[in-house]
Amino acid sequence: MLSFLRWLGQTPHLGTLLSTWRGRAIALFLIAQLLLPILYFTRKDPHDERFAWRMFSPMRMARCLPTATIDGKPFNLATEFHEAWLEIASRGRFTVIEAMGARLCAKNPGSDVRLWIDCTYIDREPRSYGSYNICNVPEL
Amino acid sequence: MAKKRDRSKKPAAAPPPVERPVKAAKPDKAIEVVPLPSEQPAFWFGYDVAWAKVWLFRVLVFGLLAIDALLQIRHAPRYGAGGFNVAQLPLLHDLGPSRVMYEVAQLVSAYLFILAAFGVATRVVVPCVTAIYAWLYFSSQLDSYQHHYLVALVLGIACFVPWQRPADATPSTPVRSWALRLILVQLAVLYLWAAISKMDPAWLDGRTLSGQITGPLRAVVDSSVGIKAAARFTIVVELALAFTVWMRPAWFIALPLGIGFHVSVLLSGLEIGLFAWLMLAMYVLVVPDRVWVRIAELRPLRGVLDRLRTDSDLVTGISVVLGSALAVALVAVACRFENALTVAVALGLVPIIIVVGRRLRGRRGGAIAGVAHLAGILVWLAVDRTTTVAVDYYRFWGGSQRRLGNAETAEVAYRKMISIAPGEGSGHYQLGRLLLKRGEEQAGLDELRKAQAIETARARAYVAEAQYLAGKGRGPEAIEKAREATYAEPDSKEANDLLTALTGQKREPGAGTPGSDDDSDQR
Repeated sequence: MLSFLRWLGQTPHLGTLLSTWRGRAIALFLIAQLLLPILYFTRKDPHDERFAWRMFSPMRMARCLPTATIDGKPFNLATEFHEAWLEIASRGRFTVIEAMGARLCAKNPGSDVRLWIDCTYIDREPRSYGSYNICNVPEL
Repeated sequence: MAKKRDRSKKPAAAPPPVERPVKAAKPDKAIEVVPLPSEQPAFWFGYDVAWAKVWLFRVLVFGLLAIDALLQIRHAPRYGAGGFNVAQLPLLHDLGPSRVMYEVAQLVSAYLFILAAFGVATRVVVPCVTAIYAWLYFSSQLDSYQHHYLVALVLGIACFVPWQRPADATPSTPVRSWALRLILVQLAVLYLWAAISKMDPAWLDGRTLSGQITGPLRAVVDSSVGIKAAARFTIVVELALAFTVWMRPAWFIALPLGIGFHVSVLLSGLEIGLFAWLMLAMYVLVVPDRVWVRIAELRPLRGVLDRLRTDSDLVTGISVVLGSALAVALVAVACRFENALTVAVALGLVPIIIVVGRRLRGRRGGAIAGVAHLAGILVWLAVDRTTTVAVDYYRFWGGSQRRLGNAETAEVAYRKMISIAPGEGSGHYQLGRLLLKRGEEQAGLDELRKAQAIETARARAYVAEAQYLAGKGRGPEAIEKAREATYAEPDSKEANDLLTALTGQKREPGAGTPGSDDDSDQR
């Protein structure tokens, strides 16, 4: 890796670019911008398209129904979370749903909190995530 | 920040000597060529732009961002609601703004964007507003669209653009800025990845686009090339823009393509706020410099703006004092945003600080600070009075608090909503329901009747009254109200169902519309 960077630094244009702090900042910024979207393909959450410039991609059309039960009884998420969070949950974003689960677990210590999403897509089969006690396994 | 040029401090330690001389970038014919000071890549560090273009970009982009910041105020009630937050970056979970903080931050942001648009203290103002924007964006996922991310990045780069007018600048005076080039390259990166994300069978066959576009564009597409061809063409356009938008010789391709593309996005019915407008404003950079130079030379306001740059202490003093006083007076009388008066009073210090700061650095003048200050506040008023943002703010605040079970806070929100918009039925209706639930019969019914008088074609206030009366065992009165509900809105399913239930008579099932609350900001 180091030798690769050294080689990059020795190429004529890159060499002059990397010789100043501004040039190094530009290079770093561009490398980050070119590579950050690749992280999307490594994420466990296919619905999370942040920082990836995936505007209006097919995944944007995914619709998920978040559902929760506490000790087996249905729980209305709208009484605990603002509808804007429910909207994000309905797009299937794991980090938000997991945070919702953590919140319910904290408010109901010792309870069996199950939180899951049933998702439909335009380009793949429907799929469910979760449905186990999220207090024991805090990730979808 | 942008003014300081980085000169290589250690030429001896620099990487191996350049094998061939770096060619200077080919500037637009309208501007003078300034030689590159040292052997730096001309692509970045020799990027010259006519002052007229920088000026227009500054005015349009910061002006749009000011309006956008104010429009975002209607989302403030989301923030901190129920004490729940998930940040973009895990470290920032606890730094998420509350409703009030968000609203105040957007008011301040809009004001600072206007100062930046006027070119006032940009070396301080732009980093400050960038920090506020980044805080609001990265500390919560509530408004986490890609365009918020783009704006955060562009603002970060904008901190390094020399926004202020060079001494004795004319419209064609060249301004050298690697940051402006970086903004164009950033756009190219965006287009590239946007195109890659669409290289998917579900996009290529038109299914995705079909589910996303409505509006006038949909009819045009359906009746011409068809949705499948439009979907494929979108990828081609995005790829073409990725390879042309940052290259001056290719602007003749990027300009019509990009403008056409973003205008079509505007017509597509996609709910992306001012993003398409912002992207169009960015294309100011892609228009050849000579166009803006020519227009700037015709600019009739030039004399006025030049006069604002006067060194006269008297003019500066009058501008700052009058600007601050007038701004506070206008907000006190006409602005309906919560906390606006407090914020306006506090911001009154800004032009004074700017003028004092200039003095301390041995510079005189600064009358433009007072004018920009007043303009910043006038933009608040203009957005407030021409949109429903202030009313929506209270409506959504009341709605979210009501749904979260905080009836007292919801009542405060609805009362404030009624105080600024007594002609809105929604506030009376929701307040009436809250009061009835709390047992304040007369006050509750009064509010419902006010709603009935305003919303003459909606059943909901009649239905609420009928339900309340029925619950109190006042059957005949309830039936009468339910009947009035069906008169007001014959298609209302809720009204028809209620009348059926109260009278016990079976009615024709219509294609009724269910009743709905309109205080959700997910409408």
